[in-house]
Amino acid sequence: MRKQIRLLGWTELVALLLLATGFVVPMYTRSVLVYSVLNQIFVGVIAAESVWIMLRMNLLSFATPAFMAIGGYTVAIAGQHDITDAFAMTAAAFILPALVAIPLGALVLRLRGTYFVLVTFVLSQIMQLLLFETPGLTGGSNGIAGVPPVTLLGTEMGSNRLVLQFACGLAILATLITGLLTRWFRQHFAAIEENEILAESLGLVVWRYKAMGFVVAAGIAGLAGYSLVNMLLTAHPSSFDSSTAVDFIAYTIIGGRLSILGPVLGTGALVYATNLFGTHGQYAQGLYGVLILVVVLAARGGIVGTIAAVWRRVS
Amino acid sequence: MTELRVESLAKRFGGLRVFQDISFNLPEGGLLGVIGPNGAGKTTLINVISGRQSASGGRVILDGRDITNRPAHAVSRLGLARSFQQTNTFKNVSVSENIARAIRFGGRGAPVGLDRMLDAFGLTPRLGEISDKLPYGLQKMLGLVMAFATSPKILLLDEPAAGLERTERQNVDTFVHNARQAGASVLIVEHDMDLIRRLCPRILVLDAGVLLADGPPAVVLARPDVIAAYLGETEETA
Amino acid sequence: MAEFLQAAIIGISLGAQYALLALGFTLIFGILGVVNFSHGGFYMLGGYVAYSCVAGLGLPYPLAVIVAVLATAALGWVFELFLLERLVDDHLATLMLTLGLYLVISTGLLTIFGPLSMEFAFPVTGALHLGSIYVPRENLIVLVVCLAAIAALWLVLFRTDLGRGLRALANDRAVAMAQGLRPKLLFPLAFAIATGLAGLTGALVTPILSLSPGVGDPVLATSFLTVILGGLGSLEGAALAAFVVGIVEAFTSVYFGGSIGALVLFVLVLLLLAFRPTGLMGRTVRGA
Repeated sequence: MRKQIRLLGWTELVALLLLATGFVVPMYTRSVLVYSVLNQIFVGVIAAESVWIMLRMNLLSFATPAFMAIGGYTVAIAGQHDITDAFAMTAAAFILPALVAIPLGALVLRLRGTYFVLVTFVLSQIMQLLLFETPGLTGGSNGIAGVPPVTLLGTEMGSNRLVLQFACGLAILATLITGLLTRWFRQHFAAIEENEILAESLGLVVWRYKAMGFVVAAGIAGLAGYSLVNMLLTAHPSSFDSSTAVDFIAYTIIGGRLSILGPVLGTGALVYATNLFGTHGQYAQGLYGVLILVVVLAARGGIVGTIAAVWRRVS
Repeated sequence: MTELRVESLAKRFGGLRVFQDISFNLPEGGLLGVIGPNGAGKTTLINVISGRQSASGGRVILDGRDITNRPAHAVSRLGLARSFQQTNTFKNVSVSENIARAIRFGGRGAPVGLDRMLDAFGLTPRLGEISDKLPYGLQKMLGLVMAFATSPKILLLDEPAAGLERTERQNVDTFVHNARQAGASVLIVEHDMDLIRRLCPRILVLDAGVLLADGPPAVVLARPDVIAAYLGETEETA
Repeated sequence: MAEFLQAAIIGISLGAQYALLALGFTLIFGILGVVNFSHGGFYMLGGYVAYSCVAGLGLPYPLAVIVAVLATAALGWVFELFLLERLVDDHLATLMLTLGLYLVISTGLLTIFGPLSMEFAFPVTGALHLGSIYVPRENLIVLVVCLAAIAALWLVLFRTDLGRGLRALANDRAVAMAQGLRPKLLFPLAFAIATGLAGLTGALVTPILSLSPGVGDPVLATSFLTVILGGLGSLEGAALAAFVVGIVEAFTSVYFGGSIGALVLFVLVLLLLAFRPTGLMGRTVRGA
């Protein structure tokens, strides 16, 4: 009777394929703008996937920038001590935020979902303050500049092309982890999303799955922070501003929360649109706001859901 | 011995009393009906026993173990399952997925007699259908079957016949008989007096949050105070 | 000793401002079950409306404050009635709607007024000297108005039929509706009262602190800390917690400087969630 659980579905494969095109782009163009937009997309996709994992269980997380900061600063501080090995740093950028998330998740996720939203919002505000208040460790308001580029199997990933390809690799890794997690616990996450009360009364330890999702989401966000620091070669508090949490939420909701294609396509579309604003990037948030209203009121599936609905009507 | 004992259980919301001083016993293999007018606190009683809502006082004891205020999943894992008054299934997935989740989350494997029950309600040929698309009566039965699929030792049913056609109510009898055959004791909150009379050897009457009577239906339903509590609820007793 | 009293006075006046914000937030959460992410937006909007009335129309400041309250209340009423109302039972959807509104409000203000701080000064200056204690008059006025607004809200909620209706809806919506209360009327009204309070706070406080797009975020964070501390949905808890937050902030900034206060409060909130998840005066919170 139990449905066979596949490790990855076609939506994950399409998402991975889309991201993988980032590897070949440098063969066709050297445009700084294209590189910059793609880099932003790769960072954004990872961060949005962190949001998406929690959204699978009807939880909205504002904590992404906080965990990004832990991942990013871990790498920057290690870089100061000449530790730049890509594998070690990837592991550290994932594991440290995840460890911080364990006690926090256990504490908050036993309570009503609302508490989660409020606490994660406050958490990213607090992380900002912490960054400013600990100049000895994080450089305070100056941040940590001159982070050395990462080394992969002895090669320094210093050139624009290699930085882009490394960011692409991190995005693929994050998508793999996210895909595996949400497929593996598909039944549990879906049950919590659809009817938490019923799931719990049937014996599902709901908070434990929420906490598990939260811990992995924190690790994924850490990878986003790593990718961001690696792109800028700087860890600065402004990179992890709490207001960026809203951007990642917008990417996910507007892209569509039904499949992992949502955060991927949503990030791509919105980062591209934001760049159209040019130097007036701050106005993009207004666009996000309007689009969120539209999605919630009129197009619940977001971009992906709308495409799917149109497709079904056509065929 | 799987026995459910409720001792002086009380529930208040702020200053509002929902029920108080409720005590009863559900022995192993027992079958107990709970009746009472609307607002008597019957659903809240099930919610408090099953850990959905917290108790304001008193104790719930399962197998000699105090389970008062344990979270709902823990109570379920200890072998006490409950059904919901409104249809309550995972609406967007198939019947078989619903049952698979119940078995999985319950953590005790599928109970003996599950297939027979699915057959009896005509759910077997519809295993592939999305549960939300089923007729109301079948959705309701699916909700009951899901509670049973966790292999409980005790089942609390919250108005299983509410909203069912008269012809469909026989399914509730079938469910209760099968569940008891599988070894579960059953507590059933119900408005349908015919159903209560034909199923339950013993009933509790709840009125305005207090336990009015406890005994065989023939005796209890003849008591003047019980009849008085039911005045104005004639359509229910019909 | 003077320093201590000084800090206490600052703390109480901060507490009164936070109470206005947190009470509005709690009102919306308690009655509609909505987490209002646009609360900081209405605070900003109140500030900008008051500023425009004073700088643009030349209205006297007290009148400008009243206009700000009415404008923010009206926007809140319209938003609830036409958008929020349709999805009021879907927690996640309403949360996202208010978030969308916040983004629209803050970008709108940014577009109209630009990214720089406004020159918006409180019309009353100077300070009272009580012995060695020094209290700015503007803070005193804000404190008095805030306390008056809290008292007025209390009277409405606990002494009128409207208030009884609102509190009944907050307690148990199903029971309240069975008793004939009409959420269709009361929901927009509750939302308008709450956003009006946020607008009032903004109109009063931004001339003293600062007025620029982006002042909404920290306001929202403080409101969140306050309502978690007070216990979600508890009006008394929110009011009490607001003063705790204000006083802790005042004392830590006087004695330690910087933003240690926010960190202390956050740790306090986490400890509270661990040991007393219902907040200072909250109700049961386990489950969904």
